[in-house]
Amino acid sequence: MLLTINNLQVCYGSQTALQINDPIYIEEGERIGIIGSNGAGKTTLVKAVLGLTNYKGSIRTSLKPEQMAAHMQFNHYAATMPVKVIMETILDTSIRKNTQLQELISYFEFEKCLNKRYPHLSGGQKQRFTIIMVMMQNAPLTFYDEVTSGLDFETRQKLMEKLSNWYKDKANTLCIVSHYYSELEMLAEKILILDQGRVIDMGTKEELFGKYCGRSVFIVDNTDRNHKLLDSYMKLAAPEHLLAVSCPDLDTERKISELLIRENVNFKRSDNDIEIMSTNAKAVYYEKEGAVK
Amino acid sequence: MKTKKCSKRLLMYEIRNVIGNPFIAFFGTVFPVMMLMIITFALKKEVPASMLKESNTSVFITMSLIIPMAVILLGHSANYSQELEKEIPVRMQLFGFSTNSIMTAKIIAQTVTLTAALILYTVFSYAAVDLQVPSLSSALCLVLCLYVLGIFFFLFAHGLSNIIKKFGPTYTICMFFYFGIMMLCGMMGIRTEQLPKSLKTLASFIPMSYIGNDFIDFWQGGSYNFGPMIQAFLFFGALCGLLMIYANYKNRRIIK
Repeated sequence: MLLTINNLQVCYGSQTALQINDPIYIEEGERIGIIGSNGAGKTTLVKAVLGLTNYKGSIRTSLKPEQMAAHMQFNHYAATMPVKVIMETILDTSIRKNTQLQELISYFEFEKCLNKRYPHLSGGQKQRFTIIMVMMQNAPLTFYDEVTSGLDFETRQKLMEKLSNWYKDKANTLCIVSHYYSELEMLAEKILILDQGRVIDMGTKEELFGKYCGRSVFIVDNTDRNHKLLDSYMKLAAPEHLLAVSCPDLDTERKISELLIRENVNFKRSDNDIEIMSTNAKAVYYEKEGAVK
Repeated sequence: MKTKKCSKRLLMYEIRNVIGNPFIAFFGTVFPVMMLMIITFALKKEVPASMLKESNTSVFITMSLIIPMAVILLGHSANYSQELEKEIPVRMQLFGFSTNSIMTAKIIAQTVTLTAALILYTVFSYAAVDLQVPSLSSALCLVLCLYVLGIFFFLFAHGLSNIIKKFGPTYTICMFFYFGIMMLCGMMGIRTEQLPKSLKTLASFIPMSYIGNDFIDFWQGGSYNFGPMIQAFLFFGALCGLLMIYANYKNRRIIK
């Protein structure tokens, strides 16, 4: 086991930012997506594992702090020199002599940025700068905390594609914190759902999807007509503007798709939609909690 | 990935970080020379020719005090408080640099910059202004005092930055001390003896006032009672040390 988190509590003043009661296990080579809205405790969890915040409870790992690499939400560097000098200092190498680093710089199209100072880089260039150095660390456990925050859609997609391709055949364990479900669909195998500092659930994407959504889901616009059309099918919790229907088997799936095509309704069919899955996981969690209370 | 030690690269990075700060470049090298030139030029009209060399030398000694104040007190507080505000030290730790390696590199970088600034100042001053040549012991005494002051200013700047963790207030406090010390120690044109009694008493607790006012008396040899100056050094050093200890205490990690 690479990392075990148990009975973890992080408090900021009198407020509990994170409370993990049941153990969380992270094994070597796993790709964990950590998802949750603002204040869910995602960054707090990363900071606790990295030893950057005080906590109660236990975080057990065979790794030393320097064997963990992290791309934090906010990364700043000295503004007094070109980023090339910062990169060579941090990695303790010369770009000219290090072919692996040259490869990464070229992979992320960063060559033209090397002589700029950090404040003069664009948002995407700043993210790529840290990513290159984090990747060069080649750490057994790497955290990416909202690596695409503040980037436009196209830059975000491009960056995630590059990250996904880079780690495709590598054995590094990754923990990816994100607000964007599509990013986790690309990179993560397991999902940890956090909400208001609590663990809602954790498992593989398939396990969790099956548990909360069934075999597949159909997502359509939330209109009265669509409500009536899908009245006889099992509805799932979904964002306000959407209507999600669960399909427990292939037969239901066929019937719904035929109905929607016949009635000329635009729809999305998915068997891995993390947004619908986490929305339903939260709904079930709070329903159970309410029943207990 | 291994813990990174204080390498040559980290040292060069810290030196570039120090000299890349325009505050340090201006206040540490240009400003003392500029002040020396302005004051010695003004003295030409007021001081008899026979006393001019001694007066110039007195100004040279006094202005040399600006260098550790500018490079370390202002420079380190400006750089380090900005770094803390942007969490750069944490970022460096996440890349495997230990706090000790970073601190060591910073101390060496400050020492190198202070030395370079002092050499530049001395060479330029002796080339441009008519100055007395010191006895070896007096010169060494001044150099030693400047480096000890450098250590105290480092403790002060580092401690204060670690307590406040914001560039604005840290730099304001350091600027207040910088100009306050300059006024009290006769670097702004008013000699310490000319100050009101209360300010004179305050100045007696600051070692710089002894260096600026008394060192000229034994610059070319002679005796001097170092007692009061050593007491001022001990007091000033204790104050800076306590600030650093408090900063470390405030930032200690509490595992509950």
